[in-house]
Amino acid sequence: MQRDARALHVEEVAAAGDAARRASTRLVLEGLAADSRQQPDRALSQYERALQIDSGNAVAYLALARHHIEQRDAPRALAYLDHAQLLYESTQADSPRVSVHLLGLRGNALQLEGRMLEGDALLVQAARRAPDVWGDGFLSADELR
Amino acid sequence: MAGGRRTGPAGRRRATQSQRGLLVRAGRLLARAWKMLTRRLPTSLRRVALGILAASFLVGFVSAAYVASLDRRVRERFEGVRFRLPSRVYSAPTILYPGLDWKLVDLRGSFERLGYRAASETRDLPPGQYVWGENRVRVHLRAFEHPSRPEPSRDVVLRLRGSSIAQIRAMPDGTELGAILLEPEELGAYYGPNRQQRELVRLDELPRHLLDAVLAVEDQRFESHGGIDLRRIAGAMLANLRAGSIRQGGSTLTQQLVKNFFLTPERTYRRKLQEALMALLVEARYDKPAILESYLNEIYLGQRGATQIHGVGEAARLYFGKSASRLSVAESGLLAAIIQSPNGTSPYRDPERATRRRDLVLELMFDQRRIDAASYEKARQEPLRLASITPEQGDTRYFLDLLHRQLADHYPSEVLTVEGLHIYSTLDHRLQSLAAMSLSEGIAALERRFPALRSDDPARALQGCLVALRPQTGELLALVGGRDYRVSQFDRCTQARRQPGSVFKPFVYIAALEPVDGGPLVTLSSFLDDSPLEIDSRNGPWAPKNHDDRFHESVTVREALENSYNVATARLAQEIGIKRVVRVAQRLGIESRLPAVPSLALGTAEVTPLEIARAYATLASGGIRPEIESIEDVVDRSGAVLERRRLQFERVLDAGTAYLATNLLEGVAERGTAASVRAGGLRGPIAAKTGTTDEERDLWFVGFTPDLVAVVWLGFDEPRSVGLSGSGGALPIWRRFVEGATGGVIRGAFLRPPDVQRVAIEPSTGALALAGCPERREEYFLRGTLPTHVCPDGARPGDRGDGVPRRFLRWLGDRL
Repeated sequence: MQRDARALHVEEVAAAGDAARRASTRLVLEGLAADSRQQPDRALSQYERALQIDSGNAVAYLALARHHIEQRDAPRALAYLDHAQLLYESTQADSPRVSVHLLGLRGNALQLEGRMLEGDALLVQAARRAPDVWGDGFLSADELR
Repeated sequence: MAGGRRTGPAGRRRATQSQRGLLVRAGRLLARAWKMLTRRLPTSLRRVALGILAASFLVGFVSAAYVASLDRRVRERFEGVRFRLPSRVYSAPTILYPGLDWKLVDLRGSFERLGYRAASETRDLPPGQYVWGENRVRVHLRAFEHPSRPEPSRDVVLRLRGSSIAQIRAMPDGTELGAILLEPEELGAYYGPNRQQRELVRLDELPRHLLDAVLAVEDQRFESHGGIDLRRIAGAMLANLRAGSIRQGGSTLTQQLVKNFFLTPERTYRRKLQEALMALLVEARYDKPAILESYLNEIYLGQRGATQIHGVGEAARLYFGKSASRLSVAESGLLAAIIQSPNGTSPYRDPERATRRRDLVLELMFDQRRIDAASYEKARQEPLRLASITPEQGDTRYFLDLLHRQLADHYPSEVLTVEGLHIYSTLDHRLQSLAAMSLSEGIAALERRFPALRSDDPARALQGCLVALRPQTGELLALVGGRDYRVSQFDRCTQARRQPGSVFKPFVYIAALEPVDGGPLVTLSSFLDDSPLEIDSRNGPWAPKNHDDRFHESVTVREALENSYNVATARLAQEIGIKRVVRVAQRLGIESRLPAVPSLALGTAEVTPLEIARAYATLASGGIRPEIESIEDVVDRSGAVLERRRLQFERVLDAGTAYLATNLLEGVAERGTAASVRAGGLRGPIAAKTGTTDEERDLWFVGFTPDLVAVVWLGFDEPRSVGLSGSGGALPIWRRFVEGATGGVIRGAFLRPPDVQRVAIEPSTGALALAGCPERREEYFLRGTLPTHVCPDGARPGDRGDGVPRRFLRWLGDRL
């Protein structure tokens, strides 16, 4: 699997933050691993436990947004993206490597809602910025991990 | 369950047809025999004989009908719902991770409540046991059975450094673990009228020595008799005749089962006969394994508070903190020993007597060759090691009632009390206990300080409620609807609507700060008029007053809310329009009716504390309103997931306005009416609002951190003056709760979104403070709403150039 240096991978931030943040991120990683194994219920459980420990952990919301895109639940995906975006922007952590995922996931969500052109425009931007990850128009759990 | 019926429906039809044929043939035979017998009798004697025969038939018919009715009862019970299984409610699991303060989460207490037993260090630590060392805890976590997210049983070691968990490693390989889960704690159950608690077990799950222990003492010939044991009956009859009353039982297991299922506990010969007949019927219809399994699930084995413990499954959990499948020979002996008199031989009440009775059972097992000498000796030497009894959690009953109401649509009471559902909730067990304690002790402390608040009549006692949510997700973490559920089950958090007073005011300011139609009406540094005000309303002129009975002329938005000035707030609400305030409050989460009257701005519309919590949660999560969630999953007894609740939320307010409102409320906690919230040393970000209604009938305190929203309400159920303010009465309870929840240090920060700028202003004019401005303080503004006046140039003290958008100045000009 390609690792695109232009996009965030959750493993890179596993050691960041205080104890609660690190434990929360570890659970996110376990959730992404479960999503990779096609165990969506287990994955969701891990993400929700991650929020239980640290409700301010942006990667948890990002992973949840991705998860709900995969489950074809656009409203929830957008709501989690909203949380993620607010957290990243408020902490000035919204680097291009993060915003490419926010763009791409929002594009996916808009397309699920039938807003194909709007969604496509965002996906094109994401693909341009991180082609190895967003080139296919989709972010897998492994790619986020 | 294993075992059950002898025949299926087709078999029973064939039986019915052949029974009819038999009856017909029998009738013919009887008629022929009658003719033969009475041929030579005189007519009078023939009549007598006929009478006797008719009477015999009648008796036989009545007896047959009676037996048939008993048989029907047996079948209905065995083939219908055999056991009422209460549905159980569980808390959210506790998550342990490196860095967590184990004292704060009461780790040792959690082990005890979950029935974990303290043990000595051993190579193979069984599940459900722990070893607490100097700086190290080894615990074998039990598996957490859940269909979608099972947690395996794990033997782990937690290295401790002071009160912190330093590291978690799996045994035996030493793999480092990032987080582990303690299984959810049972909060309570929905019982039927008999309040029976049981955990169903299958015969094949149970160790042989448990069955042997029970059979050895209760019915050693169970496998060979047909329902009644004549030898046993004869022995008991002899003993009873000598005593002149029923002293000794000769009942088999089957008879005991029948007695428990169907009959009253009276000890009469008539009842005994009925019991024997039914036992024979049970044995005729069902095989031995089915009968034994039913017995082991039915038998009464003690009390836990007001709840009856039935069955070896539940008893194993209660007494030993483990599954019945893992009982040792000694433990099995003890359970069998207490069957005869669970309360009289309770190992908690009288351990010596229980041990003696256990040893008797073990001796019987050995005599009957059910265990060998070595096992017998080992079991006899085993000391009594019981799990600690955790009393029923009375403080969770308001929450259980709330769930009951929420589940009622899909799961009526008949289902909840019989079907044995597992309901996994969002409740944090530790926070719940803390909330209950904070509320009851807080109210008691007020009553000690102000004896006039006390009442001998519980119905007139000071009441309160405390509700706590996780703001980003809406998960309900704690709910205490009153000071004592035993006295009043009325939930004041969710069922009582009371005037919120000043805790409603932030909605007015949010409506004014929100950028609508090109811009907000005010900024945080805008000046508001706090001079006398009279408004025409439906009920006549209304002239609000401030709590300090003073008018403050010109005050900033910040000052007005931090000090909770009524007049400035009421005037602002008039300027923006009450209907707009109503819409904002509803968007944030208030669902109660809000009449669009001037006094609404000061909180005269009645709302529930839970609604207030939700509205403030919307602010804490940056303008994203959560749906309140109290249930995670509902699972049936076979393990199938009936319902999986998902978190839901929606952006209802822009992040910038939410931040400004939060910042205002931080000011309330720093400098304003809630400033004593840090009196106990609480550190970290807090936003809060106090509320006191007219005549001090309702005391409110709402406070939130980045991770937690909690609302406290105090008052009398029949509204009358408490004589205290929100900061005097409700605030200390909130403070105590949050200090306990956080250990005194609140984590995180209220994050400022990019469209909010922090700039320096000159306090008396609100002008932008540049270099050289003599006075300055920091203030927050939405982008595009910075003050247009500057200091030192172009502004003098006394000017009121406050940078309010021109739109507002135009509007004001139109009205003057």
